[in-house]
Amino acid sequence: MINSKFTAQVTPGIQLLSDDQKGGIHSATLEVLRRTGVDVLVPGVRDMLQKAGCWVDGGRVRIPPNLIEWAIRAAPSRVVLCNQDGNPAMELEGRKGYYGTGSDTPFVIDAYTGQRRKAVLEDVANVAKLVDALEHIDFLMCMGIASDVTESISDLYHFREMVHNTSKPIIYTAWDRANLEAIVEMAEAVAGGPEALQRSPFMALYSEPISPLSHAKESCEKLLFLAEKGLPVVYTPGMMIGATAPVTIAGALVQANAEALSGLLITQLAREGTPVIGAGGILFMDMAKGAISYAAPEFMLAMTAFSEMYHYYKLPIFSFSGCSDAKVFDQQASAEGAIWMMLTALGGGNLIHDVGYIESGLTASYQQIVAMNEVAALVKRFMGGIEINDENIALEAIDRVGPGGNFVGDEHTFQHFRRNWVPELFDRSSREEWEVNGELTLGDNAAKKVRQVFENHQAKPVDESVSEALEAVIQKAEERNK
Amino acid sequence: MSDILSKLSTAIIEGDFASTPEMAETALEEGLGPDEILNKGLMPGMDHVGVEFKAGNMFVPEVLRSARSMQAAMDIIRPLLAETGIEPAGKIVIGTVKGDLHDIGKNLVGMMCEGAGFEIIDLGKDIEPDAFVEAVKEHSPKILGMSALLTTTMRAMEQTIRALEETGIRDSVKIMIGGAPVTQAFSDQIGADGYAANAASASDIAKKFTP
Ligand code: B1M
Repeated sequence: MINSKFTAQVTPGIQLLSDDQKGGIHSATLEVLRRTGVDVLVPGVRDMLQKAGCWVDGGRVRIPPNLIEWAIRAAPSRVVLCNQDGNPAMELEGRKGYYGTGSDTPFVIDAYTGQRRKAVLEDVANVAKLVDALEHIDFLMCMGIASDVTESISDLYHFREMVHNTSKPIIYTAWDRANLEAIVEMAEAVAGGPEALQRSPFMALYSEPISPLSHAKESCEKLLFLAEKGLPVVYTPGMMIGATAPVTIAGALVQANAEALSGLLITQLAREGTPVIGAGGILFMDMAKGAISYAAPEFMLAMTAFSEMYHYYKLPIFSFSGCSDAKVFDQQASAEGAIWMMLTALGGGNLIHDVGYIESGLTASYQQIVAMNEVAALVKRFMGGIEINDENIALEAIDRVGPGGNFVGDEHTFQHFRRNWVPELFDRSSREEWEVNGELTLGDNAAKKVRQVFENHQAKPVDESVSEALEAVIQKAEERNK
Repeated sequence: MSDILSKLSTAIIEGDFASTPEMAETALEEGLGPDEILNKGLMPGMDHVGVEFKAGNMFVPEVLRSARSMQAAMDIIRPLLAETGIEPAGKIVIGTVKGDLHDIGKNLVGMMCEGAGFEIIDLGKDIEPDAFVEAVKEHSPKILGMSALLTTTMRAMEQTIRALEETGIRDSVKIMIGGAPVTQAFSDQIGADGYAANAASASDIAKKFTP
């Protein structure tokens, strides 16, 4: 967790927008929703919006400003996600940040062969173990999409493996409403019933509108079901600057905000207080390659500004980190990943996902996850800021040691040195030592750690009865899909 | 080369879609044949654009404008081409398959193929196998293109091919598929005629299909 508000004088942070500019983005967003509106592709949801005062014209819904402003106030400003035992694990609010993996990449880099191959169910189990073992990765998304199970219900299998292999909070995906219902049934079995799950949820759905400005059938159905259940949902645009959004960052930001806030309105009308984590993805289209980028500075700017808007609204923020366009875990993956890690912390994102994505979301790298865990530790140290007080200003020590002395053996050093960060994988040894140890790179060290976890880590096992309940839901779904 | 043809090439490279129809008309008035205008004016321009795009010197929005400029001129000469019995590159029916809402890749492929002289009939996204079949019947395209980005929707490509077979029109078109998780192996497996990893190679394959 990145939380530094208690002892530091100032929480490190960056600012891109002035208050006036935030007001400007907000007004423009309201204007898009009033003038252009959004497509809502489920008649029942359109009716609900119309009753609340929206203007409906075919599939198009135009929204008066007051409704959006009501939804911003109605939605909870904090969402707490628990671990599977029901103990609080993440408080999504303010500038508290938590890192987690991404979901649904068709490919992974094999931890043993280093080859890119299709993801299988065992990868989901393995990434869950890895997240369970890593200190600075706080939540889990399934990472790979399993190619070796019934395709139409692979999401159910993902969920089962995640539950079995970590007790950290899970952000899951669901292909459609029927599968979502099945997953929630599984989650209720884990938590001990619907009410226990609602009170202390250990999971949230990841779902998306379809940019530009469309709430698709599946999107709406998922939102409605979770609102009914009072369960948390991430609703975040997955737009591409220049392709499904204006090419200018400000324009993309306004459109993304309009998509996110109109989605928020749907959830709050369906059930006031539905926990929603918003903001999200303003990805970038590279116009030279016609390819999507997960690490463009334009994406970083847009994401940082989007977080600022959500701080302004006091709403929980979904964000990105540790991801890259590189094809393998290499220098580019490290550089892009690390810049993101620091940036999202400074920008104050809450639920920060996609750690370990490479090849712009098509491949997952275990090494990248482990390397970013190391970066997260460094970032947390930085985010602690500088504590300025008499003891830390160290006048006594400076005077004691005086000109020409040294601090290494001083009592003040002994008292305080443990506050400083000690890397686990980043190498600070002498060249000789490094050579003797086999000249290992970060990639080598990360790969070693990945294999160590796969082979040795055991997550807390789930009860036999829960395990059976999960199995029963999957079997039912298999029958339904025959 | 005639002055107007090189002007047309340049206008296409520069994406000057407001001028290309008029230039095509001028070329016709000067007595040039539609085939000559196509092969010596329009295509050299687009070929240049293709090369520059691959080299990273031209960007998607520029290529898009060039393709538009080409199509604007094509609108003038297409009827005359048909009259003289010369077949232009032909039609491509393209769409994103059932259950899949990802359409940017498909749009880029359509754009590049349009630039290669094809007429694109874009069905949109979330297209049922039957709708593809109907479109093939209606437009008699040379190529049917399908895009899918989800593991769960890749199967719909196979279903579409089966539906074409059942209707007895499978062999009337070449089938090209693509999308991030699609591979050559998958293409072979479901009996498509070709797979392209990106928009530029999609247009190369389309050209190969229509010699
Ligand atoms: C006819 O012949 C041909 C020939 C070549 C062809 C071709 C056809 N079609 C494509 N090509 C080729 O040429 C093109 C140009 O060079 C290339 O096309 P591409 O489409 O590959 O490339 C485009 C130019 C740019 N790329 C893209 O446009 C896709 C980018 C990523 C990030 C992406 C986006 C943007 C979106 N998404 Co989605 N999305 C991802 C994508 C990750 C990725 N890196 O691909 C992917 C594809 N999505 C995924 C998922 C899971 C989902 N998405 C969903 C939704 C969306 C958005 C709506 C938010 C948005 C799409 C908006 C739109 N209008 O298209 C959901 C599904 C919605 C649905 N029913 O379709 C949802 C299920 C998420 C959810 N849980 O709700 C993953 C797929 C996993 C899988 N294999 O099944 C994914 C890999 C990201 C991830 N890791 O999660 C080539 O593939």
